[in-house]
Amino acid sequence: MAERDLLWMTAVVFIPSVFALLLIFVPRGKEEIMRWLALAGTGLTLGASIGMFIAFYSDVIDRNVRGTDPRSREWVSLDYRLGQIESENIADPQKSSDWLTSYPWIGRFNIYYYLGVDGISMPLVLLTALLSFLALIASWKIERFVRGYCMLFLILETGMLGTFLALDFFLFYIFWEVMLLPMYFLIGIWGGPRREYAAIKFFLYTLLGSVFILIALLAFYFTDVRDFVGPRTMKEAVAEAKSEGRTVSGNQVEIHTFDLVVLQRVGKAALQLLNGQPVTTSFRAEQAKAHLEELKSRKGAPEEMIRKAEADYQAALNDAGLKKRLEQAFFQPWFQYTMFLFLLIGFAIKIPVFPFHTWLPDAHVEAPTPISMILAGILLKMGGYGIVRIAYPICPWAAEQLAYYVALFGVINIVYGAFAAMAQSDFKKLVAYSSISHMGYVLLGIAVWTAPERAQYWSWGMNGAMFQMIAHGITSAGMFFLVGVIYDRAHHRRLDNFRGLYEPMPLYGGISAVIFFAAMGLPGMCGFVGEFMVVLSTWNYNKIFAVLAALTVVITAAYILWTLQRVFMGENPQYRNYPDINVREIVCVTPLVVLSVALGVLPGYLLLNWMEPSLTGLVDTLARFAP
Amino acid sequence: MMELLELFGEHPGWYFVAATLVPLLSFVLILLASAMWCALRPFRGTPVCDALFNLFGGEERGRTPAYVATGAIALAFVLSLIGFIRFTAQQSQFETQIEQSQRTLHDLRTRAAAAQGKDKDELQEQIEAEEKKLENKEKMWESARSYAWQGHFDWLRIRPAGLSDPDRGTALQLGFKIDSLSALMFVMVTFVASLIHLFSIGYMSEELQPEVEDHQVHTRYGHLVRRGRFGRFFMFLSLFCFSMLNLVLADNLFQVFLSWELVGICSYLLIGFYFERQSASNAANKAFIVNRIGDAGFILGLLILWTNLGTFHFDEIFHRLRAPLTDSHGGLQLAGRFVRGDLDPAGAADGRQSLKYSPNGAQVVLFPLPQDRAEHYHGVGPDRDDRVDVFDSPKKDQHGAMPYWLLVAAGLGIFLGCVGKSAQFPLHVWLPDAMEGPTPVSALIHAATMVAAGVYLVGRCYPLFAYEALLVIAYTGGITLFVAATIAIVMTDIKKVLAYSTVSQLGYMMLALGVGGWVAGLFHLLTHAFFKALLFLCSGSVIYGCHHEQDMLKMGGLYPKMKITALTMLIGVLAIAGIPLFTGWYSKDAILAQALGFVYVHPQHLFLFLLPLGTAGITAFYMSRLWLMTFTGKPRDEHVYEQAHEAPWTMTVPLIVLAVCSVCIAWGWPVYDAEASWLEHNVHHAQHHAVLADFGNIDYTVSKDHGEYWVVAKKAEENERLYAYYNHHLAGNLALGLVLIGIVFAGLIYWKRILDPAEAVEQFPGLHAFLMDKWRFDWLYSVVVVRPALVVGSWLAWFDLRVIDGIIHGVAYLSVLLSKWDGLFDNSIIDGLVNLVGNATYAAGARLRNVQTGFLRSYVVFLVVAAVGIFMVLAYFVRMAAAG
Repeated sequence: MAERDLLWMTAVVFIPSVFALLLIFVPRGKEEIMRWLALAGTGLTLGASIGMFIAFYSDVIDRNVRGTDPRSREWVSLDYRLGQIESENIADPQKSSDWLTSYPWIGRFNIYYYLGVDGISMPLVLLTALLSFLALIASWKIERFVRGYCMLFLILETGMLGTFLALDFFLFYIFWEVMLLPMYFLIGIWGGPRREYAAIKFFLYTLLGSVFILIALLAFYFTDVRDFVGPRTMKEAVAEAKSEGRTVSGNQVEIHTFDLVVLQRVGKAALQLLNGQPVTTSFRAEQAKAHLEELKSRKGAPEEMIRKAEADYQAALNDAGLKKRLEQAFFQPWFQYTMFLFLLIGFAIKIPVFPFHTWLPDAHVEAPTPISMILAGILLKMGGYGIVRIAYPICPWAAEQLAYYVALFGVINIVYGAFAAMAQSDFKKLVAYSSISHMGYVLLGIAVWTAPERAQYWSWGMNGAMFQMIAHGITSAGMFFLVGVIYDRAHHRRLDNFRGLYEPMPLYGGISAVIFFAAMGLPGMCGFVGEFMVVLSTWNYNKIFAVLAALTVVITAAYILWTLQRVFMGENPQYRNYPDINVREIVCVTPLVVLSVALGVLPGYLLLNWMEPSLTGLVDTLARFAP
Repeated sequence: MMELLELFGEHPGWYFVAATLVPLLSFVLILLASAMWCALRPFRGTPVCDALFNLFGGEERGRTPAYVATGAIALAFVLSLIGFIRFTAQQSQFETQIEQSQRTLHDLRTRAAAAQGKDKDELQEQIEAEEKKLENKEKMWESARSYAWQGHFDWLRIRPAGLSDPDRGTALQLGFKIDSLSALMFVMVTFVASLIHLFSIGYMSEELQPEVEDHQVHTRYGHLVRRGRFGRFFMFLSLFCFSMLNLVLADNLFQVFLSWELVGICSYLLIGFYFERQSASNAANKAFIVNRIGDAGFILGLLILWTNLGTFHFDEIFHRLRAPLTDSHGGLQLAGRFVRGDLDPAGAADGRQSLKYSPNGAQVVLFPLPQDRAEHYHGVGPDRDDRVDVFDSPKKDQHGAMPYWLLVAAGLGIFLGCVGKSAQFPLHVWLPDAMEGPTPVSALIHAATMVAAGVYLVGRCYPLFAYEALLVIAYTGGITLFVAATIAIVMTDIKKVLAYSTVSQLGYMMLALGVGGWVAGLFHLLTHAFFKALLFLCSGSVIYGCHHEQDMLKMGGLYPKMKITALTMLIGVLAIAGIPLFTGWYSKDAILAQALGFVYVHPQHLFLFLLPLGTAGITAFYMSRLWLMTFTGKPRDEHVYEQAHEAPWTMTVPLIVLAVCSVCIAWGWPVYDAEASWLEHNVHHAQHHAVLADFGNIDYTVSKDHGEYWVVAKKAEENERLYAYYNHHLAGNLALGLVLIGIVFAGLIYWKRILDPAEAVEQFPGLHAFLMDKWRFDWLYSVVVVRPALVVGSWLAWFDLRVIDGIIHGVAYLSVLLSKWDGLFDNSIIDGLVNLVGNATYAAGARLRNVQTGFLRSYVVFLVVAAVGIFMVLAYFVRMAAAG
């Protein structure tokens, strides 16, 4: 019997690809069938992701977070769950309910088909599945090369979902690149008049980022991580080495890995080492420490056993081999700095961070509406996700050293994007720049690294950043969709030429008001929560940043209200006979409206309560070792 | 159902929660119905859709939304009234007992002072017993209060990063806490709002038509014709009421901020109700953006408090900032005040520092929350230890410290929010423009709700304002009340005069709060709500009667045409002018008395008394001018006069009710006593002890004067409250004199026409233009804020387009150049393998060419080369790894 979690996750990732294959068999000219088939694919994916969420929730979150044991919150973390699999002490790891699954893929290089989910990736998976479904509904008006469009769209979806679920860096990278090509074609073929320019700009920018990520990925692979994997992995590696006829000394072999969770452990060790603390994060030391603490907490444990455990722990800390291996390049400042910067630039281009942001307005303006939705709603989130999942945990020391600059760029994004948005006269460009401004909060929230006793505030920032990603996914997709609706009717996007749309299109106007107010950060809507949490955490880190971020709310209000005024208020006889939005459009936008209100009213119950343990755990593990 | 009844029985605070939620429910209902209506409209024709469409209103949607909204707010009023009565009953029951106890204690003490020997010991024992009794009573009241009248839940909670930490982290909460101020505000807001709803049913009846002609919007085809928006109006009104009630309900600053923004957006929607008019949409934007400037300050205040105190809960903030009244050894000299000190760098050790008390120190001590009274607690201050250990990142039950300037900044930040919302100088510019909204909205915004929110919040947050912040508040109020009153003199639009008078009256309230007249300021807020709502609705009735004519230069002599409106408006004018026995008299006198008391102690701030005193006269002048210009003399415009008529009963009934309230809502016994107001005494219950600590360091006790028990100062120390108490009549009489002069002056000019206003204009043309330009604030903001922001925006957009993309394009051009050279080089040493790859790629490219010509081919080549390159790099690394 295969593992349940493996089935769920694989289903979520590959259902779209399967439907992409099925599309080949639809006879030419049956465009309507192609569309419905693609819709079924995305719909099924959405269903599967919801099913996966329910199963994940009951297996991991419900069992642990609601538990009475205060330590149980830690059990949500990927690190802990991997430890359960690796440890020899546990006879039968709960393989199908731990939501980590790995199968060898390219054994020669330790590359695994390795998927896993936690509170950080789960919301993004749900968002991706939902937005893909809605974007496909929004794609109904695509008339050219429908088969190609749908196939590329579905492959893109597989790429996005895979990126969020992959825990093997190599696999992550593959999915990352898989996403790139369809996006290029979707902009380049189905886009507006300057589509080729926009597509190549998008492609080159992102490829540049990918190259940086690739270098970091390879560099990490050359580190011997044998001290940070469990005995089970070691045993397998030794067996394999023996079967290949290599010599094995002391029952250990070098282990190189793309495993993100293991690399995070190594990153933690580097953080300790470079901060001049003893390295307590090797697998052996952690096990010994857990054993020791358990003995100590148990009443009536024999003195002798405790002493022995204590000695074990000390021996694990002072292991000569470990000491030697801690001299590897990975643990050098230059390496940490370089790799962190590489990863940061790679992901920052996706977010996008000033000054790497100019691909975004062009790509958005030229991309067809549904692709803009995907681009703003999901692709930008990959940058933030990459930083939270990879750049920060694997290179934490450099991250801490450079936190100020990361936060600085976050603030620049916020202010720059808002001002630039105000100057735009193209509706889509305005929304694109507002995305830049809003994604600045994500970067800022991630970056406000604080000392352990005030880590509380960083925790707010980190959670706020994640929430902002989800909220922005909803509102920006909604805004691009709404721009698309009016573009379909007026065939232009010049803000100065609209006016007076409330009167002919009251429902459209009302929905637009809701979505735009949500983007503006009005309380009771989703945009407010993330922004507010990030700003709350920022004052503790840097007062000037906080002041700038807080003052930007004025500019944000100005450009959003000015937009609403120019598009909807006033009167314009030219547009008096426009039809209000139709059923397809209502179906497409209603979930976004409902979510932007629901997440704003009940952010805790709907999202943060189950997302927060993973993020707070991450903050804790990093802040704990800060100087 | 039974459970619900039990809930209300046990926790009557839920009456207020229910009163808050009812308007929200009405909003949601109307919103969903309108959305369904809009969605179904295109599908009329099929029977099912037709039936549904008719269910949600049909072609002629009728008054249902108005009934729903009015019913909701009326229900809210009933609920708040029940809650208010229950609260007041419980409060007075306990307070009577406490007062009884205090009296006994006072008697015993007097006797003990006189007695000697054994008697004295006996009396001492009795005193101790009585003290214990008193303490128990106070505790009982405290616990009854927190049980029945408070509650909250987590909206967002982030657990601490230390996973095994028993502390549950920090949370943003939603909750409610009722005291006599919030209970009164509930009753006032729901009452006034109910009347405004009722009035609106008549006033907005035009919007019921399927097609409405907007006379102020001209199109190529004549006046604009649009659909009526009756339902939309009441929908926004409901949301507005919910936001405002939620703001009053809140027990923490975060919830206030939520409602704050919601109130802002509602005002935006309502001011922009006639959004076809350019002026209306501009005014709506202006209102929201100016408010957002204030909100940015509010956010900064929130950040400072959050970072230093880790909570937004009012009570927790005040407990931590203000010294406790007593410690385990008895009363403290600095009870209820900020305790300042300097950090001693020598005493730093493991997360703690030593703080030394000094009256002007750079730090403020944060006190531990009194979680467990049983524990021994030793106070800080001149009469206790002058040193205390403070934690660097204190938990809630530990001593901490924060810089004093940050405390001042937090106060000013929150005050900036209030400046925006309550339209104080220099952010008052939005309010007169907000007159673009329908008149009932003006009444709701200006009287009961939005602008009241700022004053209410300053009152609520009083304990966190440091002395410097209070001074800023007082001067802001002083400047505002004067500036606005001067502009009101020259305005001729009836609603704009009222708008400026509102700004001016709000200035009075702010000034009162700044000089320690906490009760006076909030008392004025309540009375003002009634007479300003009355005045606005009267002006609405006039405008309605004159067919949307707002210019007073076209009115005059309307008294015979609309007697009810004229008489009720006269009552409003007398109330705002401060004629004795009208509500305004009680509250304005109290403010002036407090200002005088403040100036006695701080003579350098003389203006804080002169400005409100003089403005009392100006107020009387311009309000009389308004009434006389509108209702007396000869009609200035025959056409308007001919058409004018009295409003229907739905509009006059609210006027009469409000007029009655404007006369007698503040009465007490005896009526002629300016200090015996029932309302004022009720507000007094909610006063935080910090106000006394800051402005009246009096040892309060109970003495028998006037045959009644009065709370007076025992120690005749020089302080503001004492002087205010003794000079109440002086201040009141001075003001009354000026008011009478103002009224007589207005009468001479506009009624008897002995003096000609045109002459005055001719004599001071510069001044007149300056006032007509509203002190040129709009011009100033346009030059200093709006245009620079737009210019910066366009610079940045240019920077993106030219500089950043310019660099990108330059790099692209260079690499193309480079690859051409490279290509030449490549061609000469090309080998078969690359040819093969190239051919295969070209073949693939050719097949895709029908998708996109030319461009795609080069792209695929590029991609393949890149992929090959990547794998070569990979192979190289792997080989190296295998070797090493």
